[in-house]
Amino acid sequence: MCAMQRDVRKVVVLGANGAMGAGSGEVFAAAGIPTVFLARSRDKARQGMARAEAMAKSEALGRFITLGSYEEDLEREVADADLIFEAVSEELALKREFFERIDRCRKADSIVGTVSSGLSIAAMTGGRSASFASHFLGIHFFNPPNVIVGCELIPHAGTDKGVTAFVADLLRKRLGRELVVTSDTPAFCGNRVGFKVLNECAQLAEEHGPAYIDALLGPHTGRAMAPLATIDFVGWDVHKAIVDNLHALTKDEAHAQFAMPKYMAALIEQGHLGNKTVDMGGFFRRVGKGKEAQHFVLTPKTREYVPAAKTPTPDVARKMKQLHHVGRYKAAFDVFAEATGPDADLMRRVILGYVSYGLMRVGEVVERAADVDRIMGFGFNWAPPSVLVDVIGARRTVALLEAAKLPVPRVVTDVAERGGKLFDEPTVDLGRFFQGK
Amino acid sequence: MTQPVYILGGYQTDFARNWTKEGKHISALIREAVEGGLAATGLEPKDIETGHVGNFAAELYAMQGHLGAFLVDVDPAFSGLPTGRHEAACASGSIAALAASAEIEAGRYDCAMIVGVEQMKTVAPSVGGDYLGTAAWYELEAKGVEFPFPKLFGRLGDEYDKRYGLKDEHLAHIAAVNYDNARRNPRAQTRTWYMNEEHAKSGGAYNATIGGRIKISDCSQVTDGGVSLFMASEKFAKVYAARRGVQLSSLPRVLGWGHRTAPLTFDDKVAESRGGEYVLPHTRQAIVDAFRRAGVADCWQLQGIETHDCFTTSEYMAIDHFGLTRPGESWKAVEERVIDFGGKLPINPSGGLIGAGHPVGATGVRQLLDASLQVTGKAGGYQVEGARKFATLNIGGSGTTSCVFVVGV
Repeated sequence: MCAMQRDVRKVVVLGANGAMGAGSGEVFAAAGIPTVFLARSRDKARQGMARAEAMAKSEALGRFITLGSYEEDLEREVADADLIFEAVSEELALKREFFERIDRCRKADSIVGTVSSGLSIAAMTGGRSASFASHFLGIHFFNPPNVIVGCELIPHAGTDKGVTAFVADLLRKRLGRELVVTSDTPAFCGNRVGFKVLNECAQLAEEHGPAYIDALLGPHTGRAMAPLATIDFVGWDVHKAIVDNLHALTKDEAHAQFAMPKYMAALIEQGHLGNKTVDMGGFFRRVGKGKEAQHFVLTPKTREYVPAAKTPTPDVARKMKQLHHVGRYKAAFDVFAEATGPDADLMRRVILGYVSYGLMRVGEVVERAADVDRIMGFGFNWAPPSVLVDVIGARRTVALLEAAKLPVPRVVTDVAERGGKLFDEPTVDLGRFFQGK
Repeated sequence: MTQPVYILGGYQTDFARNWTKEGKHISALIREAVEGGLAATGLEPKDIETGHVGNFAAELYAMQGHLGAFLVDVDPAFSGLPTGRHEAACASGSIAALAASAEIEAGRYDCAMIVGVEQMKTVAPSVGGDYLGTAAWYELEAKGVEFPFPKLFGRLGDEYDKRYGLKDEHLAHIAAVNYDNARRNPRAQTRTWYMNEEHAKSGGAYNATIGGRIKISDCSQVTDGGVSLFMASEKFAKVYAARRGVQLSSLPRVLGWGHRTAPLTFDDKVAESRGGEYVLPHTRQAIVDAFRRAGVADCWQLQGIETHDCFTTSEYMAIDHFGLTRPGESWKAVEERVIDFGGKLPINPSGGLIGAGHPVGATGVRQLLDASLQVTGKAGGYQVEGARKFATLNIGGSGTTSCVFVVGV
């Protein structure tokens, strides 16, 4: 079918009570597309609708939403839907059960998308009809989708090209997404690049301690949240699932950095999952609330929590923050590039490792440097690798990468030779990525 | 005007940013606006001969005065630059632009830099609301009043209602248009927010009443922002155009301006205008002055307007004061979709204050930058097709200081 003739007049969301289901449902409904929220029960679907309304801060959103349960409504609702959006738990067997039911009742030209953040898209089409497979792709929103506009679109080898083009257009124009089309490779682009850095930080925490790592590699290095606080926020179980998957399925220059630290695996067994297990904690644990709260920090070597002492900010980090505070970002990265000593060496190793690993994925996972930049900037709220290259200076970046014995991505060598800037999103303020606190 | 004043361009920071969360001082806002503007125009710091900052209340919000001096801090080449800071509440940015353009007209300088800036997310909303109360007569109208300004602009709506009748559904449409326009503007504060006419008409917890007839959806929202703009004499603009290989006539100019101040308290304004056609006659006069100076016969010679919609009622007022309808009939332009993007005379294609955001001292400069982008076809996703002339209206207080510019090529 010609992509031009398609329209999306009805969306069905499965798993609409969960964070990603309700959030994605909000995005469809907010665009004025009639959206059916399906869950195990109608009550659960109603909870999802309330979540979506709270995200939109509007009860007016509800007029685009109808409710149903898998048992009573799935077949009827899917039958005339133009887009079926799966957001059930991240378990292949469960997803396949739903896909089998959808395959039996969907109309021939409807599109089926999965919000999966790590499973192989091609593997999910196993046993499905040719029509299902050619209309199936990954639509990876980031949490919470109403706020974070970065989005990955993942066609598998058998996805119809017209379907991919149509969904890309829908996501960009109607749903306001900052879209990246990626290969169907493990964890796609954002999580592959992001969790390489996060897990490297978790590994380093074993020797240096979590407080030091977050102080050294915090928001002044180009991120909204410090790395280990991010893992606590995401959840240790989710972190483990993603890095174990990447360790098993990739064999690139960062293979060692995808090895899950043993201390984390052991603590997960004891129920430490980060912020979602408040009493157990993760890298950090808070006991009590507000001013009464007591803060503890993990000692990875002993697997014990000790009261959080005020960790002195490493000098290189303190200087960078002071310069960011007054908007002197280039001067801050002069400090980054030129500071001497073990703190600066470690900071450069991780940050330049991110720049290198991210831009080395060009040609493998995505087509252009701008794709890595977009998903790291709009999905992770991290300074995109190209922004760091520009703010450090391309020639100096090449020299620093070589000194750190990291692969030098072709795009960086090219821009160092020809001059000019690597980051190509003129409407994005670069300063927003660098925090002065 | 004695000597033409050209606009060479400028830069707006992303109004969705929260600079306090980023751990930034107000000098960072000024620096990003200036550095962005220099990069956008290709000007060198040494080209700039004078600098003007528009800002309302940095002493309150950021414990910082003397903002003109922060221009000098941006680049060593600015050392010695004559600078100053201008304040007229929410019209501060336009007052800075008026001062800069007057200097160019008078032949004192050939190239001027204007920066409008406000950092407002430093304090809780109720504290910020109290600070904003100093734009009214604080002791009489704001002291001890929670969120005084929504109440004052609610009274503007009430005055329309009393004289001509006013339906809230027309205000809801104005809100929805501004939010809708903001979605096309990559630097607008609310570009990803959920809003439509249905929501703007709704009440309840998600769209509570703030004061009088003003609900959340009727209000511009507090935000942080900085905007730079560069003005030049014909002599400078000729060299600039030649250097860039463009025609001098392709550069936008300030074609006309208007500037009036009404009595400060809302009661005094209403008393003064009672029996007249226009609710805010001094605002009307500023518009008429600007049209006359620009040689513009009426609003239909414009292709768009960037107006001061701090609340939906202020845009409602602007519609008849600009002459889109007869006095009291703004609702007709709303119903006929004249003001919509793609309408006969679009208002606030940027999203205006409600959609693009209202960092108080930056707004007047932002309007001028948007107007000059529009008339040179550089407004990107929110470009009004074929725009040659745009007007701006920037208001300080409850309709107290009115500044109008007509910008065109």
